[in-house]
Amino acid sequence: MSSRSADLLIARAVRRGGPWLAVLTATALTGAAADLLVPAALGRALDAVVRTSPDLPETVAVAALLAGLVVVCDALGVLAAGVSGARAAQWLRTRVVTHTLSAGTGMTRHLAPGEIVTRAGVNVEEAGRTPEAVVTAATLVIPSAGSVVALALIDPWLAVTLVAGLLLIVAVLRAFMRKTTAASGGYQEAQGQIAGMLVGALAGARTISAAGTEDREAARVLAPLPRLRAQGLALWRLQARAGVQAAVVVPLLEIAVLAVGGLRLSAGDLTVGELLAAARYVVLGAGLGSALGYAARIARARSAAQRLEQLFAVPPPAYGSRPLPPGPGTLELRDVTVRADGVRLLSGISFVVPGGTCTAVVGRSGSGKSSLAAVAGRLADPEQGVVLLDGVPLREIGREPLRRAVGYAFERPALFGRTLGEAVGFGLPAHDENNDENTVPPDTVRAAAVAACADPFVRRLPLGYATPVEEAPMSGGEVQRIGLARAFAQAGRVLILDDAMSSLDTVTERQVGRALTGSLADRTRLVVAHRVTTAAQADQVVWLEDGRVRAIGTHERLWADPGYRAVFQAPVFQEQEAS
Amino acid sequence: MRRRVLLDALWREPSRLLWLACWSVAEALPSLTGGYAVARAVDDGFAAGRPSVGFAWLGVLAAAWAVAAVSARQVLLLIAGIVEPFRDDLLRRVVTGALRAGRGGDSAAVARMNHQVELARDAFGAIITVVRSFVFTLVSVAVGLSTLAPAVVPLVLPPVALGLGLFLVSLPSLARRQREFIVADEHTAAAVAAMASGLRDVTACGGEERVAAEVGQAVTRQAASARALARVTATRTLSLAVGAWLPVVLLLAGAPWLVRQGITGGVILGTLTYVMQSLAPALGGLVQGLGVSGVRLAVTLERILHVPGPPVAHGDTEPDSARLVLRGVRFAYGTADQKAPEPVIDGLDLDVPEGDHLAVVGPSGIGKSTLAALVAGLLTPDEGEVLVGGVPAARVLPAARALIPQEAYVFPGTLAENLTYLAPGATPERVDEAVAAFGLADLAQRCAGGPLDPAELSAGERQLIALARTYLSPARLVVLDESTCHLDPAAEARAEAAFAARGGTLVVVAHRISSALRAKRVLVMDGTRVRLGSHEEMVAASPLYADLVGHWTGLPAGAVAEDADVASGRRPEPAALGGDLNRLDA
Repeated sequence: MSSRSADLLIARAVRRGGPWLAVLTATALTGAAADLLVPAALGRALDAVVRTSPDLPETVAVAALLAGLVVVCDALGVLAAGVSGARAAQWLRTRVVTHTLSAGTGMTRHLAPGEIVTRAGVNVEEAGRTPEAVVTAATLVIPSAGSVVALALIDPWLAVTLVAGLLLIVAVLRAFMRKTTAASGGYQEAQGQIAGMLVGALAGARTISAAGTEDREAARVLAPLPRLRAQGLALWRLQARAGVQAAVVVPLLEIAVLAVGGLRLSAGDLTVGELLAAARYVVLGAGLGSALGYAARIARARSAAQRLEQLFAVPPPAYGSRPLPPGPGTLELRDVTVRADGVRLLSGISFVVPGGTCTAVVGRSGSGKSSLAAVAGRLADPEQGVVLLDGVPLREIGREPLRRAVGYAFERPALFGRTLGEAVGFGLPAHDENNDENTVPPDTVRAAAVAACADPFVRRLPLGYATPVEEAPMSGGEVQRIGLARAFAQAGRVLILDDAMSSLDTVTERQVGRALTGSLADRTRLVVAHRVTTAAQADQVVWLEDGRVRAIGTHERLWADPGYRAVFQAPVFQEQEAS
Repeated sequence: MRRRVLLDALWREPSRLLWLACWSVAEALPSLTGGYAVARAVDDGFAAGRPSVGFAWLGVLAAAWAVAAVSARQVLLLIAGIVEPFRDDLLRRVVTGALRAGRGGDSAAVARMNHQVELARDAFGAIITVVRSFVFTLVSVAVGLSTLAPAVVPLVLPPVALGLGLFLVSLPSLARRQREFIVADEHTAAAVAAMASGLRDVTACGGEERVAAEVGQAVTRQAASARALARVTATRTLSLAVGAWLPVVLLLAGAPWLVRQGITGGVILGTLTYVMQSLAPALGGLVQGLGVSGVRLAVTLERILHVPGPPVAHGDTEPDSARLVLRGVRFAYGTADQKAPEPVIDGLDLDVPEGDHLAVVGPSGIGKSTLAALVAGLLTPDEGEVLVGGVPAARVLPAARALIPQEAYVFPGTLAENLTYLAPGATPERVDEAVAAFGLADLAQRCAGGPLDPAELSAGERQLIALARTYLSPARLVVLDESTCHLDPAAEARAEAAFAARGGTLVVVAHRISSALRAKRVLVMDGTRVRLGSHEEMVAASPLYADLVGHWTGLPAGAVAEDADVASGRRPEPAALGGDLNRLDA
């Protein structure tokens, strides 16, 4: 990603600050100038006091005015930086969200979910704060660089004293940074150990509660605590040493400048007021270190913007605009090839699922079943070949009609919506278009939940269908049933189940199977399955091996082949029961 | 609660506080002497043409700073001595609280507590530092100023007090805004994380607009709270300005009057040094520290101290038998004031005499695990009673009965430690016997007495360890809640046989129907009613059960090979088949 496009992105985001950006710049520059002038004005006022000069009221007024200006600019600057930063971040974040959503599964192929979260979080924040970083760096650089100049103007020796001292501070801080990173490793390790053991123990919470061994477990989890404390104290000692060294540098610098200035005062080359100004300029000048810190922030903002550009570069899939002609939901794959990262996942797959029939897709793990399920309903586009629904290529169908026609259920569904009812009705057009609340008719939701055997357990929750998703303690099998219900509610013509019943017990799986052959029998069904029963109930079975169709036929016919029977054997059995 | 925790942390070692105060006085030495030394250095030294006197006073100041530097180190270490035990205390609360509450917690959220504890520790340390620093600086400056020139005190301290007052008045609203921002920020992060990990589902359901609107709402709220925070932070800057700059302006404006009182330029310079070098930074530190760290501490402590749930109560009565009796038991999920309208278990009567072997069969979610939890005393019935040897389940000594859930618990210790977890006194011979009985010999050989890594064990191995552990325990009532689901049918049969031969009462929540075929009696839960009887009785009485046992008969002969664990000799009569399963949903 070029840094130019990243800068462009930052510029566009920063413009969202609108008038606040101008306010920020104006206050920052004015404030910086006032900051630089205040010590000189104070010095002049003090001299006027000492000399009881007639222009005293004037000089005091100037000093007071400048001080007031510093304060007002400071307050306005904080406000402007906060508001413009918030606006820029909001714009960037909204773009990240909408782009991620429109790219859909394509995005996850490029960036892991954690990376998307980092981009929408820290990276947006860093890029959004660019104006603040630029302006703050400027406001720090102007007074601190200016104060060195001011000192030199008062007396060149004062400036020399300051610069020598500054170099010392930087050296001390450097040494501290190196040591901390080494020491904090041990601390984080002990911390990680406690966290890891706690997660492990909580996974066994039922065992522990039943055995009444909570306190023993707590002692075991907390065993690394003494080590954590020892490491923590070592960190504090390190911080004490370096922090104290750094803290004493500025006062000593000031004393040195006062001593040099005092000598000049004795010689009559310096006034008391100038001495005061010099002492203040030392403090201002020492701020140069933090100005350099802001320069690092600007660099971070640019690299954050580059990372955002990476995300925006992922192309969203294009949907067509053709409506779907009436039809039974016949699904046809013609010579479909799918490749990811140079690896061929599917090669030349062709078959037809006649409308209203059920096709099972079987094969060992890694044979391409999930890739097939993904292209069949256009969660991914094949590299070659075409998938047609009732004769129309999926790419040419509009997004709305396509998603209304095809329903998907997965092995590990992610649920959306606040309540379980909304989770089942997710994606369906709202009942009342004028109402923002998603009010899918309760009957639709309920019927789908009944077919997926989710209704009985939902009704046993304290708030039934209105139970918030995060408050419903669901097992893997129960989440799968909600996912199935969602697909059932969704699928107008085609239902694609990608290993979506793996965590169901045999009774429930059978009940769902009945619904599939009963109330949902008019939908075209494509079922990825591990279990022999599922294959046996299908009208035809597509047997995949290494991304190719090994055979297509009825279960009875294929069963004669020992290779086919081997697909259903052992190792799968243990995995599939996991919930 | 929060206040208690903080006070406890402070008062843990009162002598430490005393030392902290002593070193703080030493650390504030530059604040005490700074202005005075500068004034004298100028008035008696440099301005009087005696540079050596000036250097001497600056030397005093340098010495004060040197003492302050050493003291600052001691202060930091003393604060560490308060803050580190505070962190330990918080971690202990998080860990014991989460473990005692048992299930009902989001384990990832609890683990994130670690981070919250760190934030709380840092914030607490920062607050002690800034508040202490401000107080000692203020007192030192007041003393120093009174010594230098009492006449300037009224021009300096009241504006500082005013600035401080303004800040304290604005603190609650600042705290509120800061808190809102933290919450909004976390809310957005959570919404984006949910979106990012569910993109496939969003695309598949065509729910893009819906999710965009939801996440967009969070983003908008976050931006609004960031703007609100910026507004109150700007006002905070103003209160700081009053405290820091007003004394300077007042001093200069009042200078002619001060000069008439005999105040010299050096004294005014010294006073300005007090204000600008000591007071203003200390006030700035306080405003920044309380405004940010204070709120962070409050928010994080609130989370840390939020109890994940009431602790699971344990009884201490040893029942004299392992007979299990349920009378009119009703249980619905939810809290006392918000119960689910439909109970999971309703009017259940059950009598399992000592030595019985009962299998519980039914679709998942029907209440089998709830029944197991009621027997284990992890849940209390809303109505009726659960008795173990005549003692209510909640009052039974945990050691007297054992529950093995589906998710087997293995901790990172040796195999022997894991196996003797519930039977610390078990002899090595007994342990070897259990290892042999559950087919753990290979694993024992593989780890050779070293610590186990639970993550490296297969789910089946973990279950075998949990089973062998319970086998060794003194419990006479054992409940296996699908605790053999990751085992192959042969291993499952061997495990159940070992428990059946062990004596005591055995309740098996069946994962496979074969578990029911091995039991003496079968309890079938089908959602509408509960039936109890022998296998043969159940085949005749429960269409669900009959269907389960025989549900492969409709398939081609070869296809059923996989489910061979349904013992061929006991295949039910065809006449018993064909119940309508959809009835369960009616």
